[in-house]
Amino acid sequence: MLKIFFGDNPGGNYIFNPDVFFNNTYEDEWITSETSRKMIKDIDGSEVKGPCMIDSPFLGPIPPERLSGGVKTLILMQNDPDHIFNASACGNNCAQWILRLAEQKDITIRLGYIMDFGKQPFDIYIVNTGKTVHTMLELDDEIIVNRLLRG
Amino acid sequence: MTGKYDIEIYNKRVHYHLTVKRNITVIQGDSATGKTELLRMISDYENNGISSGITEICEKRCVVIENASWKERLATLQQCIIFIDEGALFLRSKEFTKMVKGSDNYFVLVTRDSLEHLPYSIEEIYGMRQERDSQKYQNARRIYNETYQLYNLQANEDIHPDLIITEDSNSGYEFYHKLFGETCCSAEGKSNILSYLQKSHEKEILAIVDGAAFGPEMQHVMQYIRDSRNKIVLYAPESFEYLLLRANIIDRTSEATEKTYELADSREYFSWEEFYTAYLIEQTRNTIYEYSKKKLKDTYLTAGNFRKIVSQLPEKIKLALMVNQKQQL
Repeated sequence: MLKIFFGDNPGGNYIFNPDVFFNNTYEDEWITSETSRKMIKDIDGSEVKGPCMIDSPFLGPIPPERLSGGVKTLILMQNDPDHIFNASACGNNCAQWILRLAEQKDITIRLGYIMDFGKQPFDIYIVNTGKTVHTMLELDDEIIVNRLLRG
Repeated sequence: MTGKYDIEIYNKRVHYHLTVKRNITVIQGDSATGKTELLRMISDYENNGISSGITEICEKRCVVIENASWKERLATLQQCIIFIDEGALFLRSKEFTKMVKGSDNYFVLVTRDSLEHLPYSIEEIYGMRQERDSQKYQNARRIYNETYQLYNLQANEDIHPDLIITEDSNSGYEFYHKLFGETCCSAEGKSNILSYLQKSHEKEILAIVDGAAFGPEMQHVMQYIRDSRNKIVLYAPESFEYLLLRANIIDRTSEATEKTYELADSREYFSWEEFYTAYLIEQTRNTIYEYSKKKLKDTYLTAGNFRKIVSQLPEKIKLALMVNQKQQL
């Protein structure tokens, strides 16, 4: 299930800057796994050629350190269950992948904006309020009523 | 700092172009659109100049600030365009807000989180877009597209609002209340607009906000508008004072709205909203139109002047007004 903390302080195991954290912690097999290959293709439009080489249509051959912040955060969510990652590093184009990853296991993320999870029903547990929501409108209402994104 | 600046930065593979004209510009949007790459290139050029292999064309010095010693660096910079990535922890801090206020620099902030303490304009929220037929050229395009400052209203659509919500509570509200009558209410501040929209049961709602400082609310409000079952249209002129200046009630004040970037010095004005208010107060001082945000003078509400202000509203709103008046008769 996907669990989201909205706001600034989700806890001690929170990683605010997943981009830098990824660069210093990733394992080769994280890059070459089937799911990572698909996410990298879908989000960045790039082909994984090997653990140290990715072919980007935009930048040419690049190392994993130059993947987008969004795809790095997705790879971390899939492979590092010990941390809460800042999913504000992910754009709306990562939302369906986050839901898909959370179908396999519980994932807790932090958000500082209202990510668009689409029109299909979903199960998202709001950590701040303990409520589970199933549509974007329910998610919006929960955020607005509880002022979850007000500092 | 005043002025409008084109920034062009490129290497062999990518070519970025953006224009900044206010103290705060925000870049957001989908992942993998090249935002981080843009900052990396600016940083490489800043550190290595032409030896970086990067070409940067801009009248002003472009600088990237990161977490380390950000306060000290910021304190030493003047007349620069400062880029900051979302990885900067201090972006949402009150200390940073204080340093932006009164700064002699422009800021380009790459972040999806709303920065509620910074009054940025909805017109200065950009996403990077690849130029058609070319993977090399990336241009900054406005995220929120509008026609005549109306958002969520297509060219072939009309609006017949059952409820009008204004951000303004005093002078602006007085005008809109006179215009729309009892269907108009004040949310008393931009941060209350969203909860007003959420609590309202009316089917068609027109929300009137000050676009010049509504940026921090925009993503949340537009997402809610997309998800809501009701028809909600946002009208976002720069500010109510902007409309009064455009109306030329006092001779030629509209000129200040044409090239505001040449007049609104970032050291004096936190947003263009503040500039328009200060400019209007200055222009009307010791006249029968002496402006105050708290109370709108009756001289603005005489038939002739009222018409001049109404003439600044978009045609679709004037049309809604006519329908509303016919229904009341």
